[in-house]
Amino acid sequence: MVDSDQRPGPTPSAAAERPAEPAKTRRRGRRRNRYIATPLLLISANLVLFATFFVWPAAIGLAYSFTSYTGVGPAPFVGMENYLHLFQDDQFYAAVVRTLIYTGCAVPMIFVASLGVAYLLISPYAKGKPVARAIFFIPWLISPIIAGVIWRWIFGENFGLANFIITEFGGKAVPWQSNANLSLVVVLIATTWGNTAFNMLIFTAALKNVPTAYYEAAELDGAGAWQKFRRITLPAIAPTSFIVVLLTTLNSMKEYPLFKAINGGGPGNENNLVVQYIYNTGFRRAQIGYASAASFVLMLILLVIAGMQLMVNRRMESGQQ
Amino acid sequence: MAISATVRRGRWRLLSVGVVATLALSACGSSGSGSSSGAKKITFWYSTSAQNQGYTDLAKDFLAKTGVTVEIVNIPNDGYQDKLKQAAQANSLPDAASVPSLDNIWVNQLQDLSSITNNAENKINKTFVTEKDGKVLTIPSDVTAAGLFINKSLFDKAKVTYPTDPTKTWTWDEFLAAADKVRTATKAKYDLVYDNSPARIRAWIYTHGGKGFQLSGDKFAAPDATTVQELTDFAKLNNDVIMPKSVWTSGADPNALFKSGQVVAYFSGVWQVADFADGITNFEWASAPTPAQPVHATDINLGGKVVAFTNGDKASAAKQWVDFLFQRDNYTKLAEANGYLPIEQGLSLTYPFKKQVALDSFALYTKEMELADPISASGQANQATLLLDGKATSEDPTKAEMAKLINGQQDTQKTVDNIVSGLNAGL
Amino acid sequence: MTVDTRKPPTLRRTRKAAKTGDVPRKFFSSSVMWLLAIVYGFPVLWFVLSSLKPTGDLFTYPLTLFPKHFTFSGYEKAWTSFNFAQYFLNTLIVATAATVLTIVASAASGYALAKYNNWWLKGFAVCILATTMLPGETILPSLFVVIRDIGLYNSLAGVVVPAVITATGTFMFRQFFVTVPNDLLEAARIDGSGELSTFIRIMLPLSRPIMLTLAIISFQWRWNDFLWPLVILNDPHQFTLQIGVASIVGAENVNWSVLLGASVLSMIPLVLIYLVFQRYIMNADINAGLKD
Repeated sequence: MVDSDQRPGPTPSAAAERPAEPAKTRRRGRRRNRYIATPLLLISANLVLFATFFVWPAAIGLAYSFTSYTGVGPAPFVGMENYLHLFQDDQFYAAVVRTLIYTGCAVPMIFVASLGVAYLLISPYAKGKPVARAIFFIPWLISPIIAGVIWRWIFGENFGLANFIITEFGGKAVPWQSNANLSLVVVLIATTWGNTAFNMLIFTAALKNVPTAYYEAAELDGAGAWQKFRRITLPAIAPTSFIVVLLTTLNSMKEYPLFKAINGGGPGNENNLVVQYIYNTGFRRAQIGYASAASFVLMLILLVIAGMQLMVNRRMESGQQ
Repeated sequence: MAISATVRRGRWRLLSVGVVATLALSACGSSGSGSSSGAKKITFWYSTSAQNQGYTDLAKDFLAKTGVTVEIVNIPNDGYQDKLKQAAQANSLPDAASVPSLDNIWVNQLQDLSSITNNAENKINKTFVTEKDGKVLTIPSDVTAAGLFINKSLFDKAKVTYPTDPTKTWTWDEFLAAADKVRTATKAKYDLVYDNSPARIRAWIYTHGGKGFQLSGDKFAAPDATTVQELTDFAKLNNDVIMPKSVWTSGADPNALFKSGQVVAYFSGVWQVADFADGITNFEWASAPTPAQPVHATDINLGGKVVAFTNGDKASAAKQWVDFLFQRDNYTKLAEANGYLPIEQGLSLTYPFKKQVALDSFALYTKEMELADPISASGQANQATLLLDGKATSEDPTKAEMAKLINGQQDTQKTVDNIVSGLNAGL
Repeated sequence: MTVDTRKPPTLRRTRKAAKTGDVPRKFFSSSVMWLLAIVYGFPVLWFVLSSLKPTGDLFTYPLTLFPKHFTFSGYEKAWTSFNFAQYFLNTLIVATAATVLTIVASAASGYALAKYNNWWLKGFAVCILATTMLPGETILPSLFVVIRDIGLYNSLAGVVVPAVITATGTFMFRQFFVTVPNDLLEAARIDGSGELSTFIRIMLPLSRPIMLTLAIISFQWRWNDFLWPLVILNDPHQFTLQIGVASIVGAENVNWSVLLGASVLSMIPLVLIYLVFQRYIMNADINAGLKD
């Protein structure tokens, strides 16, 4: 991760000051690593919380994954059996594939929607922003069970609004719920609708941070709106874009409540994602050990994905230099 | 760098607010454990979504009679079982509760309630009480039964009749034919919606003469051929003409579908009566006898299971409370206020429903339960037996497997095999 | 040092808006935004209007958007079906405390990750990211054991403290502090300011929009928490709002009009907080450090 700023800044005075520092530098070793106490103190809160509320429970969970624990009684050690069983289960692979498809569609949709909405809400040209702001925000507050009712009302196969309109115009009712792919489309729409506000907030803060001086300079050069967006805005918010993509990816891979509310993971189990698989084969069957094993395999997959995104990001950042 | 001092102070203020708040919160909580002043207050957990005054009223009577306050806590159904599990692990179980099902983690902390069930005055129906080694660890607060609802307005409009006497009930074929006639005559959308639930599908199996999934020894056995055939037939009915596929394949809400007024009949159970009494205003509904082909049965299940925990010095007060609940007069009040089908026999209940159709419905269910074949209660009995034997039970995989069957992903034999292995997964 | 000008951005940029050729821009931007607002708002509108319908009208066919009979009975029943006011207060305490702590912890960690170059900081960043990689349901039983052993069971603190750590918050601050020029930091060091003092006096105030954004996000998260508060809290006087709302959902059926009413009521505070904080965010003139 690169932690230095890319932009030019006024440095002549600072550069002149540096020769006055060599005494301190020599005493504390290499210039860049001279601070240890401060960063340690700064991260101390999160470090303690991380150790207590993540590492400790995760370690317990990892221990369970090597047993056939059922939630009560002893936890007999079974070694790698849970993992082997997992890798031989077709349903697991099906769930992983489905999750990847869902994530692959959801992330671009959410990214474009939230960046677009944030950009419009920052722009001085759009009228009536306060009301629009509230309208875009509310979907994020709605709980999955209510979202399920709303989207079933709109895309319900039997009495839904969409089919009502379609049949009124003479078409045939669309199997929004009995067709696995159409059902996935409905969930994608619902997740974009619900998750726009969250990422929009993050983008808003980042967009506000782009110096107006850049826009003014481009304006003088005669740049149009789209060019300004592509060449100034996008690069300027690149760090934020990266984090939005990464977090949206991780959250989409763990999606479960929205599917449960809108199509129950169906039809059948064609829209079961990984977390639902973990629930169905693990927790609901009192197979805590198996559920833990599957969870750690999911974590491994997410680490790989995050790693890949980090590598791509590093390459893009160094390519800008 | 003129950062004003006020801003700087503001930051510290914010931080100190947070720290103080958290410390205050940790002090706030964790009071009210083990006050050894001899049980003047006990806690009773239950779960309901309706405005049930039954327990609250009885708590007032109990306070007047014994001077012990009963704190009634309504726990959301979603997560109730988890909460009990975690409470057991934190040694903070309530003193008494009405639980959705027993759990191995705390089943050994239950008091023996056999004195209440053996009390001849209470006349508790022992078929619904599972004994183990002569001990009774839980008494159901009520029983529930599956049953058929029809859209009376549609039937009247199509001029089709339906039986009202359960002793002269119709067969499934007759019912489906009648529903078909009603649908085509009134241009409704579906004949029937059927609750997406393993308990409800048991009624389908039993009324057709199948035995369903029964315990043989201490594991579930493969079901008989009739059951397999019946499940295949059921799947065929989900063809978007008779029944909509979306209910069993992707969790569409049959209650909402029935309320649209476009479905001729709805197979659910007695708990819908209170909801329908208030919630259906655009058409007339009625309860119809469950079809029998040829067995007259249904699925009889238990409502909340009342238990009393062995919580030190609160135990005797808790047992007293449970005893109080099942005394004949008190139980009558409870069943009437909460709209329960009673577990005690021979009571004469006058439910507070304002609509006659609701009262008729309850009368019908009471009669149905008297006529029902004993196999009707076997579903819940199997579960209870396993739990009392200390086995970890898994959630019934019927829903997920039937969803795959109706979605065309697998055949009935595979479905049935998966259900059996799923039921046996934790055993 | 940039000072908060408190001038709304529209005023700041009005000079440009007066030019010709801006009317089509205004028209285009406004119409696109309002088109999107209609698409996003339609389901919300149905949801709110449905909460004003009597139960019997909720599922009738053919479908109606507007209620034939307006009624507040859903709201009345929601208010009385559980101790709304008390649960509301509890949730407010939890959300506020958690938000304050989250902001402090995330800002500190984000700053450290952005401005210091130690190798173990990079490892720590991966660790923080890893906290988002285990599904919550998996970790819940083990986390419960930890909370119990620490002694935070049945207290609001047990709800607040595990929720403070967040990868989203930390990385939001990190990405922001990355855009703050290092020269600002250097200049402060040269001036003799200690590291921690620099952070608190100079860097933190710069990040105010991020703090407010994270405040909105964190508040919403804690407000809508359900399973964890349910499991941790035993005393019904400490229950949070979502526990009350969930108690409306029955085992076999749902009283929809009451649930819709309760949901709308529980959303109102969040919308208010959002509107208030967003004004601050939009009014902030941040351009960090460059106009020194």
